[in-house]
Amino acid sequence: MQPTDQPRRSMIYRLLLENGAEFETCQDSAVAMRYPGNAAEAEQSQSMGIADLSPLPRIGFKGKDTPLWLKQQGVQLPETPNRARKQSDNCLLLRLSDDEHVLLGDLTLRSTLVATLHQSWHFQPGQMCYLVPRADTHSWFCLSGKHTSDMLAKVCGVDLRLHKFGNGEIAQTSIARINGIVVRNDLGQIPAFYLLADSASADYLWPCLMDAMDEFSGSPIGLATLQSLIARAA
Amino acid sequence: MKIIHCPLNGPRNISEFAYGGEVEAMPDPVSCSGDEWAEYIFMSDNPAGLVREWWLHVATAYWFIAERNTVTDEIIKTYPPSELYKQRIEFAKDID
Repeated sequence: MQPTDQPRRSMIYRLLLENGAEFETCQDSAVAMRYPGNAAEAEQSQSMGIADLSPLPRIGFKGKDTPLWLKQQGVQLPETPNRARKQSDNCLLLRLSDDEHVLLGDLTLRSTLVATLHQSWHFQPGQMCYLVPRADTHSWFCLSGKHTSDMLAKVCGVDLRLHKFGNGEIAQTSIARINGIVVRNDLGQIPAFYLLADSASADYLWPCLMDAMDEFSGSPIGLATLQSLIARAA
Repeated sequence: MKIIHCPLNGPRNISEFAYGGEVEAMPDPVSCSGDEWAEYIFMSDNPAGLVREWWLHVATAYWFIAERNTVTDEIIKTYPPSELYKQRIEFAKDID
């Protein structure tokens, strides 16, 4: 199938096609599932790989009353800002400040929490909890493998070495000179980082990261590879 | 590269920050004179020595306060604005 067959697709789908991506339909989105030209995707994910997760569900909420509202919806919050917490259905809640949160859907696409929260939220005067449509504002990449920290050191000033930047930590910082959110979210034993950045700059960021990972023989990997890593870790 | 300690995000390169002017007490916008308001909006004291300034961590759009020595360009400390401002300021009444 072609990504343009679906109502939703990644903001960098043209680049992914150039990279040789094969797309599949997930809900109403076209997702790069695999790269048939790359016979060693699984090994690549353990060494240095990048996956585009931009079409996957995510949502944000901000405002003083957000923590209370999220708790009322059954969401478990991290204790402090700049931490992430995995939910029982494998969604990941990012706490960006005391009152700003982003929920990333699970990579197996089984969870309906993002859609449920979207439907549950209504604007109520006096309640300071506001919806932030993060699926449209941010691209979402996953960098995985043992060389990821070394690669990120080339484009980011924050110390993201594995013994300094623990699993579940968040850094909101400059990545390749654009603002972004880095989240460490290991896939079992494999170090992995989510990267969220301005969607309009995704066409710039993807080639930047591909260039930075070139010396580590990095290459794109599909969502199917990440899903199999998760299944193996479970 | 200089490092600023953001109260929310920790130490970051100074290139991630933007300067936001001196921290000054805001006159009552309803009752103050035009001269007082212009003084507040446009004029800086610019002293030599310790000043309190607004700084923005651009990556998170997070405003905070830094105490800086303008002679040595040394940042003494940084803290969230909630340490100075305890109450929300309403500029307009709620629209029903």
